[in-house]
Amino acid sequence: MFDLIGFGRDGWGPALLWAAATTLFLSVAGFVTGAALGAIAAFARLSGDRLARRIAFAYGVLFRGVPDLLTIYLLYFGGSVALTMVGHWVGAHGFVGLPRFATGMVALGIISGAYQAEVYRGAFLAIHRGEIEAARAYGMSGATMLRQVVVPQVLRYAIPGLGNVWQLVLKDSALVSIIGLVELMREAQVGAGSTREPFIFFCSAGALYLLIAATTGALFRRVERHTRRGFRTA
Amino acid sequence: MVERGAGVNADPRAAVTVTDLHKSFNALEVLKGVSLMAREGDVVSILGSSGSGKSTMLRCINLLETPDQGTIRVGEETLRFAKDCKGRVAAPDRRQVERLRRGAAMVFQSFNLWSHMTILENVVAAPVHVLKRPRAECVAEAEALLAKVGIANRRHHYPAHLSGGQQQRAAIARALAMQPKVLLFDEPTSSLDPELVGEVLRVMRSLANEGRTMLVVTHEMAFARDVSSQVLFLHQGKIDEQGPPDEVFGCPKSDRLRQFLAAAR
Amino acid sequence: MDIAFLANTLAQLLRGAPLTLELAATSVGLGFVFALTLALALQSAPATIGWPIRAYVATFRGTPLLVQIFLIYYGLGQFRPTLQALDLWGFFRQPYWCAILALTLNTAAYGAEIIRGGLQSVPHGQIEAARACGMPPWTVYRLVILPIALRQALPSYGNEIILMIKGTSLTSIVTLLEITGVAQQIISQTYRAVEVFACAGAIYLSMNYVVARALVAIEHHLSPHLRVPDIEAAVAIEGGLH
Repeated sequence: MFDLIGFGRDGWGPALLWAAATTLFLSVAGFVTGAALGAIAAFARLSGDRLARRIAFAYGVLFRGVPDLLTIYLLYFGGSVALTMVGHWVGAHGFVGLPRFATGMVALGIISGAYQAEVYRGAFLAIHRGEIEAARAYGMSGATMLRQVVVPQVLRYAIPGLGNVWQLVLKDSALVSIIGLVELMREAQVGAGSTREPFIFFCSAGALYLLIAATTGALFRRVERHTRRGFRTA
Repeated sequence: MVERGAGVNADPRAAVTVTDLHKSFNALEVLKGVSLMAREGDVVSILGSSGSGKSTMLRCINLLETPDQGTIRVGEETLRFAKDCKGRVAAPDRRQVERLRRGAAMVFQSFNLWSHMTILENVVAAPVHVLKRPRAECVAEAEALLAKVGIANRRHHYPAHLSGGQQQRAAIARALAMQPKVLLFDEPTSSLDPELVGEVLRVMRSLANEGRTMLVVTHEMAFARDVSSQVLFLHQGKIDEQGPPDEVFGCPKSDRLRQFLAAAR
Repeated sequence: MDIAFLANTLAQLLRGAPLTLELAATSVGLGFVFALTLALALQSAPATIGWPIRAYVATFRGTPLLVQIFLIYYGLGQFRPTLQALDLWGFFRQPYWCAILALTLNTAAYGAEIIRGGLQSVPHGQIEAARACGMPPWTVYRLVILPIALRQALPSYGNEIILMIKGTSLTSIVTLLEITGVAQQIISQTYRAVEVFACAGAIYLSMNYVVARALVAIEHHLSPHLRVPDIEAAVAIEGGLH
């Protein structure tokens, strides 16, 4: 049975490992995209502009409240339909699908951005007002204050929450298999269908997800410990 | 000082006897052989600096800590502890421990009222669920006890809505509701703001006047001197001095006790 | 803005709503009972039961729900002869029961962690006070530990309920026609993804809103001990009159 997932002639081992790498790559890309979107949304939530605040709030509620699968469907099928129409204008025929990896990355980015916005916002609000006052009193400009005082602190408070969001992105990446991208989930499905041994393939996929989750989780905890050096715990 | 012991019940049968108690936490030996005997109606104050083992001794009496060696007797229940040939102590019988605990009610330094129950429910919980007495009876008695400690008007409130002094008085009412043979007080006023200490000591004094058997770990010297029938001074796990308050406070024999009393003034 | 299409889509999607709610409610209910059992077992059981429980919790929290669903639906399907011999094939053949099983196992793992956190947050002094009255262990749990722990766990568990409602959407992939399953059908027929997404999203958002508000009400009802009821109490806390 283990020959199937091994590295022998008929083994799916290499294929699964490549797919796991794709999963990791996709998750990282989605997480980073989400970091950018989340930072913008958090900034908007904390700004003085009422419209910006409302839009950012709606973005958060929408993409945290709606199932992630629907968001992926929207992006892929909605986007593909639009792209197909554009394609027809320029003379292409048939269904034009969006690039799967990019779409998956954007979808994961939009979803995780909604959660990351909450993390960044909470982290910002946790900074002591006094430190910002001191920065102003010493004549720091807005940009300098942001760079020297605000951002380092936000990152320190945000790391635990970001660790949770990362685990969420990693698990959601499995949903991107639905649009046909060959990451770990899809590869396991293909292998299962091809060999009629779904049990071993999905168990292996699960084990690989656990491995990635455990390793990256440990990394996050390491970073967390590093950022907390010099601070007494509660 | 008020006369004690020869009051309501002149029976010299002991209410609590503790013999040669030893207790270690890992390598640290906290109790190195302490004994005490309290007759019915006695009020025993237990003094000592931090680390002397006084709280540990009290907590051994109702088995919140398990002694390594020694004998504990509360009312009819006797428990013996000894190390076997391998140096381990056998765990006491759970049901016997529960029986013993019903006879010794404890008042804690941090009150430890059950935060999700009203004051009345706090006082009624143990009689109803442990002593299995009828609820109506317990409620009536609880209301009387709460009136006695002076917080009857707070009985439907939750602990978080009471001041520290009120919470401790509620805790005393909860202890009294068990109709215990002995009341154990573990630094009952140490967590209170100074202006709230008095109301709790007043209640404790009136309990002493009624002839209750009380073991009190405390830093309140005036209370210990005025209300106790016996004072124990612990130092590093041993009883350094012991006797009636006049003797212990008036003519301390050891230097350590002299230093302790001087510092406490 | 094609109102007719939107209205029609909404009506179609709502036909999937009962299944969504049924899947969510059943799995959360069963999952809670299982989670409570596991959390209590972890507290008081010897080490031999401890590590399989921890392994189970870590596995189901660390792997995607989709993998769990596929493992149970397709993976266990591989053992059809064995299951038939045990008379269990009728259960495992149906996507509905496989979905319930996967969702339940998933939420129970998260729930066990949440309840474990609640149990650990019970102030130790109050547990001691209960024991000091001579209460037997189960009475201590019933009167003191569980009431406090479960109230503590309520906000997190409410969040878990919302996550489960969203989780039911994955069962569309194993042919169940709950809201997302119906939405998938409509999108693949009409290609009008944005409108269908908008309608389905609106339904999910409404459900989550109702659950969130119900939760606030329940929390409010269960924690009078955390609210200040009146002026008298407020004054008392200041250490004033009695």
